[in-house]
Amino acid sequence: MKHSAAEILREYPFPEAETVAGVSFDGKNVWFAAGDRLNAFDPETGKTLRSIDVAAHAGTAYDGRHFYQIAGDLIQKIDPDTGKVLSTIPSPGGGRDSGMTWAEGKLWVGQYRERKIHQIDPETGAILRTIESNRFVTGVTWVDGELWHATWESEQSDLRRVDPQTGKVLETLDMPAGMGISGLESDGGDRLFCGSGNARVIRAVRRPR
Amino acid sequence: MDSLITAAALALAAGDPLGALDRVALREDAPALALRGIAMAQLGEFDRAKALLRRAARAFGPKEAVARARCVVAEAEIALVSRDLGWPAKTLDSARATLEKHGDRLNAAHAGHLKVRRLLLIGRLDEAEQVLAELDPAPLPPAARAAHELAVAGIAMRRLKTRTARTALEWARHAARQAGIPGLMAEVDTALLALDTPAARLIAQGEERPLLLAEVEALQASPALVVDTFRYAVRRQEATVSLATRPVLFALVRALAEAWPGDVSRATLIAQAFGGKHADESHRARLRVEIGRLRAELRTLADINATSRGFALAPHQPGAVAVLARPIEVRHASVLALLADGEAWASSALALALGAGQRSVQRALEQLVESGKVQSFGHGRARRWMTPPVAGFTTTLLLPAPLPNG
Repeated sequence: MKHSAAEILREYPFPEAETVAGVSFDGKNVWFAAGDRLNAFDPETGKTLRSIDVAAHAGTAYDGRHFYQIAGDLIQKIDPDTGKVLSTIPSPGGGRDSGMTWAEGKLWVGQYRERKIHQIDPETGAILRTIESNRFVTGVTWVDGELWHATWESEQSDLRRVDPQTGKVLETLDMPAGMGISGLESDGGDRLFCGSGNARVIRAVRRPR
Repeated sequence: MDSLITAAALALAAGDPLGALDRVALREDAPALALRGIAMAQLGEFDRAKALLRRAARAFGPKEAVARARCVVAEAEIALVSRDLGWPAKTLDSARATLEKHGDRLNAAHAGHLKVRRLLLIGRLDEAEQVLAELDPAPLPPAARAAHELAVAGIAMRRLKTRTARTALEWARHAARQAGIPGLMAEVDTALLALDTPAARLIAQGEERPLLLAEVEALQASPALVVDTFRYAVRRQEATVSLATRPVLFALVRALAEAWPGDVSRATLIAQAFGGKHADESHRARLRVEIGRLRAELRTLADINATSRGFALAPHQPGAVAVLARPIEVRHASVLALLADGEAWASSALALALGAGQRSVQRALEQLVESGKVQSFGHGRARRWMTPPVAGFTTTLLLPAPLPNG
C-alpha cells in the first residue's frame, strides 16, 4: 500500500456557509451542500456562481443531468435548472449517511460511523452491495475507475483509494492533524475537492497518478 | 458527520431544539447523544441533559479528544446555569487545554468564559479578571463576544467602574443583537438596567437617599470618609481600613458615622455593637476597650473624641462622612443579594459563594422562606432556592454544538 501526505493545492473559504457537507462537480463548476442550499463556485476563480435552495445535510452526487442530495434520511433527486426535487428515495443508512457519488448508473453512499460504503439503485434505494472500511467514512468519489473515500476518525482525516470489490486499502493520503474532510469529489483530473464540515472551506488536494 | 446529525445541528444552531430532537431522538451513537444532551439543556431539562452529555463523552472514546472535551464544556455550562458550583473546575480546565491544543479556539474561548463566570459567581474577582484578560474577544463570533463583554461588565460593576461597565454592555448589546439570541439580549438589558437602578443607599447627616452605581463610584472618588457596609471597610479615596473580621468595631464606626457630626450615646453604641438592652458597668468597660481598638484601626483616617454622653467621629481632613448601605437592609441580605440574580441556587452553592457553612445558610434560607422572601423547589440534594416571583427562569445557555469536524 502506498502511503503519503496529502498535498493541498488550494483552499476556497466560504465563511457565509453554515457547513460544508457534500461536494460535487458538474464538469465545470464545484457544488457543495451548505445545510439549506447547494452552492456552485468556479474552481479557477473561487467565485460563487449560484445556489439552489434545497435541504442539503450530507453527500452530493451528479449523474450528468441531475443532482442527488442527501437530506435528513432521504436522497433527493434535483433538477439543476429549476432547483425542483423530482423524486426521493430512502437513504441506505437511514440518516447515518455521509458522502455520496455517482458511477455507472449506481449511487455509492458512505455510512459514517458504521464504516461502510453501500452501492445502491438510484431508482429504488435498494442496497446492491456493501464494502467495509476500517475507518469512519465521510466523502466518497469515483475517478478513472478508482474508488476513493475520505475518513474522519480519532480526529484525523485521510484519503484512501480502495478496491471496490474487497474494500482493501490500496493507497492513503494523510491530511494534516485536525484538518477534517466531510464531502469529497474529483474533477476527473488531478484534483480532489474536499469539504471540511464546520471549518467552512473547500480544499483541493492533488490526486497522485 | 452524517446527514441527520448535520440536520439536527443546524436546527439547534437556529434555536430549534425540538426540531433537533426530532431528528436524533432515537439514536444512541455518540454525536447523537451529544446533540440530544444540548437540545435537552436548551429546553431546561438539565439533569437529563447532563446524563446524555456524560454518556456522549464516554461513547466518543479516548481518541476523539476534541469531541469529548466539547461534551465536558457543555456539561460545565449546564452545571453553571443550574448553579452547581461544586462541579469540578479542574475538569473544565483540562477540557479547555485539550481544545486549545487541537486548535478549537472558539470552544476553548467558550470554556474560558465559563471559568470566568464561575469565578465571578463565587466572588473571586481577581482570578476572574486574570482569566478574562487572557481571552481575546476580537475573533469571537457574536454570541461569544456578548458573553465576553458581559463578563467584563460583571467585573467592572463589582469594581464600581461604571464607565467601563457601560461601554462593555453597549458592545454586548450590539453583539447579542447580531447573534439574535433572545435570552442573551434579555440578559444584557437586565445588566444595563442594573446601571440605572439604585445600587446602594447613602446615609449622611441624618438623611438617606438611594444611589446609582455611578454615584457610588463618584462617592468613592470624593474626599468623603465612607463607611462601606458592602465590604465592611472605612475608606477615604485610596486609603482603606478593612474591618471585615471585626464586626463589633464595624458596628461602632457605622453608628458614629450615621450620627456625624453629632455624637452617639454610650447606651446606643452598646446596644448596636453588643446587642445589650441596657448598659451596665462591664459593658461600659468593654465599650472603652473597643473604642480604643477602633481608634487604633482608624488612626490614619479619623479620631474618635469622647463627649459628655458618648463618642463622636472626627475625621482628620475636612469633608463629609457617609455610610454606604445596601438598598434594602434585611436579615440575610447577602443570601438575598445572590438570589437576586433570578437563578435557582443550591444551598451548597450559596454556602460556597458566601464562604459560610452550609448549615447556617440553610437556616437563613428557612427563615427567608417563612417571611415569603424566598421559595424553594425540588427535594434533597436537588433542592434549589430562588427569589419570587419567577415564572421559570432564563439562562444564557450558549452551548456550542459539539460537532465532529468532518
